[in-house]
Amino acid sequence: MGFLAPWFLGGLVAVGLPVWLHLLKKHRSTPQPFSSLMFFEQHLQSSIKHKRLRYLLLFALRTAIVALLALAFAAPFIRRTGVPINRSGAVALVAIDNSLSMRDDGRLDEAKREAKAFVGGLSLGQKAEVMAFGTRMQAMSEVTDDHAALSAAIDAIEPSDAGTSFAELARAARSVARSLNLPINVELFSDMQQTGMPGNFNDLRLNESIRLSPHRVGSKQPNFAVENVIAPRRVYDNKKSRVLVTVAGYGTGKAERTVSLALNGRVTETKTVAVPENGRATVEFLSMDVPHGQNKGEIRIDSADNLPNDDHFYFSVERADPRRALFLHEAGSTRDLLYFNAALEAAGQSAFQIDAAVPEQAANVAPSHYAFVVLSDVGALPAGLERELKNYVSAGGSVFVALGHNSAGVSQVPVSAGRIEGAHYAGREGARFQTADWVDISHPAILADAHWDDVKFYQTIGIAAGGARVVAKLSDGSPLLLDQQVGDGRILVFASTFDNVANDFPLHPTFVPFIERASRYLGRLDSGPPSVSVGAYAELRDALQPGAAVEVLDPHGARALSLEQGAKAQNIQFTEAGFYEIHRPSGPETVAVNADRRESDLTPTSDETVALWRNTSQGSATAAGTTETGERTVPLWWYIMVAVLILAVAESLLGNKHLSVDKEAA
Amino acid sequence: MLQRFLDPDTLASITGLDLVAKTVVDGFVAGLHRSPDFGFSQEFAEYRAYTPGDDLRHVDWNVFARTDRCYLKRYRGETNTQLLILLDTSASMGYGSQEVHKLDYSRFVAASLCYLANLQRDAAGLIVFDEDVVNYVAPSTRQGQLFRLLHAIEKAEPGTRTDFSKPFAHFQNYLHRRGLVIVLSDFYAPPEEIINTVEPLRHRGNEVVLFHVLDPQEIEPKFRDPVLLVDMEDATRSLEVSPEYARHEYRSKIASHIQNLNDAARSAGLDYFLMNTSRPLDEGLREYLSIRQGRM
Repeated sequence: MGFLAPWFLGGLVAVGLPVWLHLLKKHRSTPQPFSSLMFFEQHLQSSIKHKRLRYLLLFALRTAIVALLALAFAAPFIRRTGVPINRSGAVALVAIDNSLSMRDDGRLDEAKREAKAFVGGLSLGQKAEVMAFGTRMQAMSEVTDDHAALSAAIDAIEPSDAGTSFAELARAARSVARSLNLPINVELFSDMQQTGMPGNFNDLRLNESIRLSPHRVGSKQPNFAVENVIAPRRVYDNKKSRVLVTVAGYGTGKAERTVSLALNGRVTETKTVAVPENGRATVEFLSMDVPHGQNKGEIRIDSADNLPNDDHFYFSVERADPRRALFLHEAGSTRDLLYFNAALEAAGQSAFQIDAAVPEQAANVAPSHYAFVVLSDVGALPAGLERELKNYVSAGGSVFVALGHNSAGVSQVPVSAGRIEGAHYAGREGARFQTADWVDISHPAILADAHWDDVKFYQTIGIAAGGARVVAKLSDGSPLLLDQQVGDGRILVFASTFDNVANDFPLHPTFVPFIERASRYLGRLDSGPPSVSVGAYAELRDALQPGAAVEVLDPHGARALSLEQGAKAQNIQFTEAGFYEIHRPSGPETVAVNADRRESDLTPTSDETVALWRNTSQGSATAAGTTETGERTVPLWWYIMVAVLILAVAESLLGNKHLSVDKEAA
Repeated sequence: MLQRFLDPDTLASITGLDLVAKTVVDGFVAGLHRSPDFGFSQEFAEYRAYTPGDDLRHVDWNVFARTDRCYLKRYRGETNTQLLILLDTSASMGYGSQEVHKLDYSRFVAASLCYLANLQRDAAGLIVFDEDVVNYVAPSTRQGQLFRLLHAIEKAEPGTRTDFSKPFAHFQNYLHRRGLVIVLSDFYAPPEEIINTVEPLRHRGNEVVLFHVLDPQEIEPKFRDPVLLVDMEDATRSLEVSPEYARHEYRSKIASHIQNLNDAARSAGLDYFLMNTSRPLDEGLREYLSIRQGRM
């Protein structure tokens, strides 16, 4: 028996505490005058003696509790001979890495060769299972002693575009060991890529019944890759589109690379870039000549290395015409229109074309022809127009309401049911202006790093939040921006104006992204990424058409889903790089899928890390077929704490018995 | 509302025994004024035809004016009673677990009885004693008698130990007329000894009432821890007592003492009433008087 923390035994000194308490409490009678002792006579001593006896028991309990607590903290343990693990019936788990990096220089072929040699060397009757792994595990065979079937399973492994995840391998090994209830020998055939290691080393842990034998294939090779491409998801003006490419070299020397932009399979532009030694370089393409509709974009480099699959990067781009938005403003007030329009144009992509009008002119306009409608401080609307707008919003339309001095006289926010509580004007006395005290950066209309705190609001309209989402608040806590869902539509209510009079917001850099993002949000223009990685998922259905059939074509043009899946599946996982086409009732969508770029770094994991991983299992020290013996330390603190608990209950019961006298005397 | 003023602790805060007595008795009488049968009252009882020799002062001249006949107006209890209060001021009477100790409570009772007697024009007297007679106010109906009594009661302080035999031997000398004798004490003596000492008073035609004044802590003592009790009448005597003993053995002993004293008093023709100092003052008086009335 030993102690993991023997210095905690010093806590035994605390045993003195109950000793001191009991000495203090013991028989300390205070003299008290009483009218007559006529009836206090015999039996007195026996009563006191009885009491002291009980106190001694209580004292013993308390002492034992303190002593056991000190003992528990000292973490005692005993050494016990471990239950021997007989590895003679161990199952071999042949795990072959088929991630993207294994495509380099025939690594996968080498791994399969070695794996087949290992299977060929298995003794007669020894069982094994073949698995391929990248981001996910894929069982290629059953647990069998048929070595021919195992070899066939190894041959069937195909290269993939997935990344490497050793954590997934460890989890699968633990799961197999638990389900088979047998020792597992994991034979790992991999390039042991460093980027495949998880962030938390604990995810790699192996049970004592699992033994890991890594078989390293390949060696570190220089590799160039298109690391990233930033391209617009939608293009409204070919001349204003821009593509930014990052080219990375891993273990490479200084070199020049040719970067090409291909659209729909045709190279439209080529540039040369100097990539520094083991570094990165960027290339910018300033226009994209794409026709209307869905387009397939691709960036290619001439890497001349052994891993060509990361030398191109796919992205999809949709060419569309700008959508129209209706801007209603008061007659004679054009400053707000000027700033709003300028902000949209400054945003680069002109996704919207603004049609301006005054409310009186808009009486016969059909709002459903517009992506969204802006009501810029229009005060009270004509009843017919307001009714039209309400119907438009209920049917899924969007309205952006800005409130100014014209709104101070009305009691309700136009179209919305929101209540106007009055106007706040900055004066010479007190606070001369307000600021945006709080902004919800999770809202789609707000830029994540937006700085609204230096915007001065001189005039604001007090609005009741009601059930709407408060997106921004002023310094006095009143709402500045509200987002309200009405029916299927959206209403954004801004408690000030866009005219650079009631505030200086239009002069601040945050105004442009706010107007641009708010317009996209209201116009329901999704700004999803132009490409995703292998392993990502895509939603196949929306709430409006839950039962409609969806067709998905993979990069080879084959159907990725069966008919049943096409009618029921909620999402799809992209398993290889290339262009997927998703045909929904609302229209086709092209999704660009790229291989995981972490695979481009072919630096192998160090031997020390692999050794550490192997050591997470205790069964790796001895050779297969032998019987392992070893000593285990069995901690005892748990049993001691149970004893403390029992003693504590006994102490409470005994203590309560004493206190029952006190209760009456109190 | 009135009840609040009759609470012993509240009465203790009133300075002046006369006010205490007035508060108790007035409230007490006010509470009972509808009762047709009440102790020492001077209520009208009946008319009786005049016979020669009757006191002319009691003739109802209104009736005579209307009927030309002489009738005497009779009152209930019109015969003046002599009330003598024996107040024990031994050291043990100074005990109290509350604001009002036993002697205070006894003084309130004595003062109230004196005040009540004064209202009835009864002659009231007082003997204060511990192991000897400490003070004596002879029964009288003279003017100022109430204040003499209240003054004597107010002056009474806890003295030495109790010894019934010596003072009670003296009381025989003070009792010249038959009347009502009320003894206020905690009676810390064997019941037989108490009855033997008090009984002779009864033989002289007196009606004797024992008011046994005890503190709640004496009847049901509650101690949190073991205590060292010191006898108030003999400081050299002390005893360590455990809470368990006080809770069980002592309670049965004191209960047995009270029961024995009650039984012995009744068998000797004495009235006995236990007065717990935690109870409102008029409660004891009311109980005593109603029982007494029932026996008349």
